[in-house]
Amino acid sequence: MILKTKQLSRSFGGLKAINKVDFELPKNEIRGIIGPNGSGKSTFFNLVSGIYDSDPGSYIEFDGHDITYTPPHEIAGYGLSRTFQLLRLYQDMTVIDNVMSGYHTRVPYKFFDAVIGRKKIWDQERAIKEEMMELLSFVGLADYAELNASELSGGQRRLLVLARAIAMKPKLLMLDEPAAGLSPVNVDNLMKIIMQLKEKYGLTLIIIEHILKVVMDTCNSVTVFDHGQKIAEGTPAQVKDDNAVIEAYLGKKMDDEEMRKALAV
Amino acid sequence: MEKFKSIIRDYPFIAFIIAFVILAFVPSVVFTDVYQSHLATLIFVNIVVAAGLNIVKGYCGQVTVGHVGLFAVGSYTAGTLFLYLGLGFWATLPIAIIVTAFFGVAMGIPSFRLEGPYLALATLGGGEAIRLFIENGNFFRSTFGISDIPTPSLMGYNFDSPDRYYFISMTIMIIAVYFSFSILRSGVGRAFMSIREDPICAAAAGINVKKYKILAFILSAMFAGAAGAVYAHMPPGYIHPNNYTVIEMVTFLAMVVLGGLGHIWGGIIGAIVITIVYDLTRPLYKYQLLIFGLTIVLTILFMPKGLGGFIDRYFLEKRFKKKTGTEKTT
Repeated sequence: MILKTKQLSRSFGGLKAINKVDFELPKNEIRGIIGPNGSGKSTFFNLVSGIYDSDPGSYIEFDGHDITYTPPHEIAGYGLSRTFQLLRLYQDMTVIDNVMSGYHTRVPYKFFDAVIGRKKIWDQERAIKEEMMELLSFVGLADYAELNASELSGGQRRLLVLARAIAMKPKLLMLDEPAAGLSPVNVDNLMKIIMQLKEKYGLTLIIIEHILKVVMDTCNSVTVFDHGQKIAEGTPAQVKDDNAVIEAYLGKKMDDEEMRKALAV
Repeated sequence: MEKFKSIIRDYPFIAFIIAFVILAFVPSVVFTDVYQSHLATLIFVNIVVAAGLNIVKGYCGQVTVGHVGLFAVGSYTAGTLFLYLGLGFWATLPIAIIVTAFFGVAMGIPSFRLEGPYLALATLGGGEAIRLFIENGNFFRSTFGISDIPTPSLMGYNFDSPDRYYFISMTIMIIAVYFSFSILRSGVGRAFMSIREDPICAAAAGINVKKYKILAFILSAMFAGAAGAVYAHMPPGYIHPNNYTVIEMVTFLAMVVLGGLGHIWGGIIGAIVITIVYDLTRPLYKYQLLIFGLTIVLTILFMPKGLGGFIDRYFLEKRFKKKTGTEKTT
């Protein structure tokens, strides 16, 4: 198990955004998380990555470390990387700097070497830059390396955020709606890149996604959230036919007769 | 030429040594009177302050308006150490740097909680408090100022006139700029920038936001402390609380903004331009603040990345065009 939560809860005022969620994720799996808006998917990500503190009684374990009350930068240091729904791109930095800042946890030199500006720093910086350029050309942004991130198009930004999250060579990558707002062609392209990166770096993935096609095609297993609770878990096929899921997503399952009645009123 | 370039790339300090040698010949070749040396020293002091301010404001994005207070701490540490202990420049400089670093910590702590204009207000209060504390304390000679602070001497040679002191200030400036250059070019500079752009995402990417924020404040305070000590020992060796008012702060800000916030050479270009303009507009002293305020506003409106960013942009567009064959104009 690379990620494990027990009785994970978080409330905002009276609202229980996440309510006693037990979650387990084995290595090398691609887990999809689906659920209606406001069901706590993003809150779950924020709790795991340490952006929010969880309520007392919760327990989160990542790769053998208890990370329940660990600050986010230390969690990232253990090898957990994530993207954000609102991207949180470093707008005023160049594309290459964006990706290189994702490398932060792996930077090998010490601060004082940097102050003095020893030769090995510049050698290592160049090596990092080369590696990151490779990553950029892998996602297809190498030509834009020196431009500001704010000058990229929506689809390119999504790719850049992905590259930045992968720069730290994480063990677990959590993607928060990676394909939101992309055209169908771009969605396919993005998913292809994600799958290639998974193979290349041996990643474990958690993907929040509203495009069900993406989830059904790529994920090994799916967890469904509703009102802060886990209401279903299993393979995509199992989840698709789960009545609780259908109810949460689409409303109650009706046969034709019921539907006609409901519409006639 | 290629070989020379690669040597500079591996050992950037060689470029700074070359700059040092060139600047060392400037007084004897270019300058026509002593006043120009004095002005050059002022430029160097301002460059050191602006380079420090660029770290905390330009790179780390923490809006501090109290930097002039740290500059004052550097000056008055040097001044009081001379006044009560009779210490010379070589002792007061390192002590001033260290003392100012501690004040930098104090100035940086509010940044954990406050952002943007709120942090600016807090640091403005801090900077003004320092000045008022000095102005109203007999220990610091209050409004009389500290006078006759001695110029440094090295192996019997006394740097006692502006054209001699030029070499001291120039050396300190070169060293300071070199440090700022290597810090900002490394991963530390990148960490600062990520905090400026998005602290939450920076934290999720493994950057210890609090540590780097306070580090930025300490580093920039050390620059301000060094500049303050150099300023205090500058002939005729007189410091007065009026040299550390908000007006000076606006001037420092104008330097960084005009040069380019978050541009590695930003503070330096700005310091040169603004110091010269400041000197030329001395007869119009009533309007100086207006001029610099207007400079800040107009620069932010029409050249948000300052002169440095403007020049960078030109070369970048050229390179991009060459590489992809398309125009990119935004």
